Amino acid sequence: MSRIIASAAIRGGHACVRRAETMLAEALGRHNRNTAIGFPSTAYALPIILALTGKRVEKLGDLEEAVGAARSWLPAEPTEKLWLPYLGGALDAGAATLVAQEAIEALKPLHGIPLEFDYWLGPTTDGILREQGIKLVDGRMPGFAACVGALPDDETAEQLARDLQERNLLVFMGANCAGETMAAQLNRRGVQMNWETFLVPYGPDTSSIVHALGFACRAAFTFGGLKPGGLEETREILLYNQRRVFAFVLALGEVDDEKYATAAGAINFGFPVIADTDIPEILPSGICTYEHVVSNVAHRDMPARAVEVRGVKIHTVEIPIPVRHGPAFEGERVRREEVAIEFGGKYTRCFEYLASRPMDQVQDGLIRVVGPEIGDVPEGARLPLAIFVEVAGRKMQPEFESILERHIHSFLSEPMGVMHLGQRDTVWLRISKKARDAGFRIEHLGTVLLHKLRNDFPAIVDKVQVTLFTESAGVEELYPTAAAAYQSRDERMGALTDERVEIFYSCALCQSYAPNHVCIITPERLGLCGAYNWLDGKAAYEINPHGGNLPVRKGDSVDPVLGQWKGINDFIRNASNGAFERFSAYSMITDPMTSCGCFECIACILPGTGGIMIVDREYAGETPVGMTFSSLAEMTGGGQQTPGFIGIGTIYALSRKFISADGGLARLVWTTTRIKQKLGDRLRQRCEELGKPGFYEKIADETVCTELEPLIEYLATVEHPALEMGEMV
Amino acid sequence: MSLDLKPKKWAGALREVTLGAGSRRPVAVGGGNGLPLHTFEAAFPHRPALALEITDVDPVRWVESVRQPWEGVLGRPAEAARRAVADFGADLLLVHLMGTHTDRGNRSPEQAAADVGAVLEAVNVPLIVKGPGAGQKQNTVLARVAEDCRGEGLALHSATNEDYKTLAAVAVAYGHALVGESPIDVNMAKQLNILLADSNVDLNRVLIDPLTGGLGYGLEYSYSVMERIRLAALGGDAMLNCPIVCLVGEEAWKAKEAKVPADKEPLWGSQRERGIHWEVATAMTLIEAGAEVVVLRHPETLDRIRKQLDSWFGSEPSHDREGVVQNSFRATDEHR
Repeated sequence: MSRIIASAAIRGGHACVRRAETMLAEALGRHNRNTAIGFPSTAYALPIILALTGKRVEKLGDLEEAVGAARSWLPAEPTEKLWLPYLGGALDAGAATLVAQEAIEALKPLHGIPLEFDYWLGPTTDGILREQGIKLVDGRMPGFAACVGALPDDETAEQLARDLQERNLLVFMGANCAGETMAAQLNRRGVQMNWETFLVPYGPDTSSIVHALGFACRAAFTFGGLKPGGLEETREILLYNQRRVFAFVLALGEVDDEKYATAAGAINFGFPVIADTDIPEILPSGICTYEHVVSNVAHRDMPARAVEVRGVKIHTVEIPIPVRHGPAFEGERVRREEVAIEFGGKYTRCFEYLASRPMDQVQDGLIRVVGPEIGDVPEGARLPLAIFVEVAGRKMQPEFESILERHIHSFLSEPMGVMHLGQRDTVWLRISKKARDAGFRIEHLGTVLLHKLRNDFPAIVDKVQVTLFTESAGVEELYPTAAAAYQSRDERMGALTDERVEIFYSCALCQSYAPNHVCIITPERLGLCGAYNWLDGKAAYEINPHGGNLPVRKGDSVDPVLGQWKGINDFIRNASNGAFERFSAYSMITDPMTSCGCFECIACILPGTGGIMIVDREYAGETPVGMTFSSLAEMTGGGQQTPGFIGIGTIYALSRKFISADGGLARLVWTTTRIKQKLGDRLRQRCEELGKPGFYEKIADETVCTELEPLIEYLATVEHPALEMGEMV
Repeated sequence: MSLDLKPKKWAGALREVTLGAGSRRPVAVGGGNGLPLHTFEAAFPHRPALALEITDVDPVRWVESVRQPWEGVLGRPAEAARRAVADFGADLLLVHLMGTHTDRGNRSPEQAAADVGAVLEAVNVPLIVKGPGAGQKQNTVLARVAEDCRGEGLALHSATNEDYKTLAAVAVAYGHALVGESPIDVNMAKQLNILLADSNVDLNRVLIDPLTGGLGYGLEYSYSVMERIRLAALGGDAMLNCPIVCLVGEEAWKAKEAKVPADKEPLWGSQRERGIHWEVATAMTLIEAGAEVVVLRHPETLDRIRKQLDSWFGSEPSHDREGVVQNSFRATDEHR
């Protein structure tokens, strides 16, 4: 922690505690110890003192103990010679300051100083707390801003207030800067300040900020069910605030010792400080989720910066586009005669590219159309298009780019009157005349992406900006970058092997109907439904750590050929409810993975051939094993371990780990033309890698035969390598 | 030849959840340490509780045969509650605030709270209070009910994975229990309980509504999900060992078999009997799958199930000194 801040906070703490002691002594001189003291209409006494000391202050005499506690927390006042304050000392001083300030606020009425006057609202009643506090806890209100001080002028003050309101943030105001206050500034601008407008002026002294923090404490008591008590309880209350109450302090104008001390108090709650002046910064995370003190922020950037630093997630309920949208419109086609404008298909270059950027390089919410808009071109025009999405997030990783990019398809399919097909550089996008007439513009594609990405991936996406290039120059300029990214992603995925990672991901999404089934997803073996690969599992866990995908540490190798690890086996035992002891990642014979029922394909052994066949779900005909897909599915699914039968995602066949313990792809003697088509050149290439000339051509399909006898004859004729490999069991 | 039973001992047991507090005569459910009704090898401190559903407004979609026993009190929740408890013997009630739905009267949160208040005045059994369905309206309605009826230990129905924070907060704030609803999915049920626990909700105050279909409409799917939930709970999963509540009535009486009049399908027999059979069959199945609270609509159904439970669990429930309904049952000789 900055020495300057820590020293100032400690000095401020001493000053506050001294002031509280003085006021208390005076009050005790004039009033009985049993004089009632406290804020109106609350069951939480003096809430900060209650939270931090566990003691209810109801009488004047009770304050002695509280202020005494504050005194005892204060570290020595720093001098030129002694400066070992740093974090712990400053935080203690901060806590002491809040206790002292709350005492001061509570003592004010005894000294004839009102808490509520002019536009100042003073302490909040429990009734308002119940009504408004729950919004903070359940997320309807993303957080609150405690504004300390004043802005350089009235207009800037109003602008800041409006910007915060726009984000649904509750705005608390308190303290002054050389006599000027933000509330006075808003008042001069004629801005209404009350609980309905979410603009709440507490009081002109710095000590009034305790009402904002007391509000947070009471939210924890009420809605978090937390009880005051000892140190452990205090810690829980502070943690609750750190995790659930997304508040921050905006330090406006000069920061004096008392404000530093108050800020240190707020940091105890995990509330960071964003300052408009050039005070020292405290950037490493620790008590707060991210930075503690960020300074020198321009007023217009303050809300965005604060939201980012505090990690506030703002969810858009209604995406602001002029047409309806939702999954219901996903399959909708826009026919040729309905087209207002069209991109891609076979006519123009159209691609989408999502890249991650450092936090400071993305301007959240910025959407630009570079080139003609929908109204600038004749109806039915075909334009090139580059959808360039830049995202930034605290937890964003370059690995997640492809996952987010893949969602562009479903996001852009959702507005009514927009048709989106394909991905990467095979995109075909149409906007209908109806949508255009309703006011839909190319720009709105960006609006949809912005809100959907932020809403659906709040854990990894904090900021989004979208650029839509609609003229050749821009599109062609960006294309090489995008193409290089696609390629490098593919290469990176290709280089991602089971050996190179320590963690696999489980998938238990299907346990509802296959109770003992669990998928283990490795970089080289995707989930059997074909929908989840290792990266998806990783992202899913990042997005929702309580969901169906969990990281599983491999642990020590049990059998490198079969693909068994101690960590995986331990996990399986537990996750299968004790039904299974072991899973092999690379064998369909020895301890094969179980299958739920969602497999894209079934691989099963073909007795007498030394090989296997792979049949896909769409294939309705007979197979050489004498069963159709649906009869096979009954044997394979349901979470059973059936040696010789496994459900797989189609592209697992291309993996170098495809049943590698059993002989690998060379065992493949029969499959369907649909699978051959789907895997196409990639399958040919894998076959060539096996070093068995002409292997691809030797794989039979339903056009060769659908029975075992003719298949064996065929295999002999073409000299299929499986015949030489011996039976699998 | 004698059959030698080997009792199965489980690592875990169900949580015991007490519904009702304050002016309510509490009803405790759950707490068993074996598979449902396996009274030969496990102890069940409480037998399944039987609830009847009453509504704030006239439930116009209810078919005549289930409206009939409620004649004169439909849409009058306090009177319906009195009849449900005094005449029909419900252990507890589900107050369905259907009239607060924006399409079905759009009654205000204040009206809803007044309705629930009137029911609390009328009877002293615990209440499950069901909102108009997930969304902002439900949250405002149930938040108001929860605040106005603080301390009564209501069970708020229901929190979901997508929308649980408001109800979790008000349940904690005002001392109520919470029903977590998941769409026939064991993972979602577990995830929701993790989220609730994470929001400081005490899982000893949570019921799982696994969502159910009526007989012939996906009942078997619910059955296996409940079985799965129960196996996990008994296996020691502390995030799935909450008692289960099933809203049987609304599903059973939605079935075509309960709705089609006898003159349309003469071979199907009396519509009234059919509907009751449907509700009984659905409820019994779910009790066998592990439901600790079943919510019914027809008092005749409740009566028949009560008799069946009596035959299994021995006797009518009695009240212990604290007033907690003790419908305890342990394996007795005649059941061994």
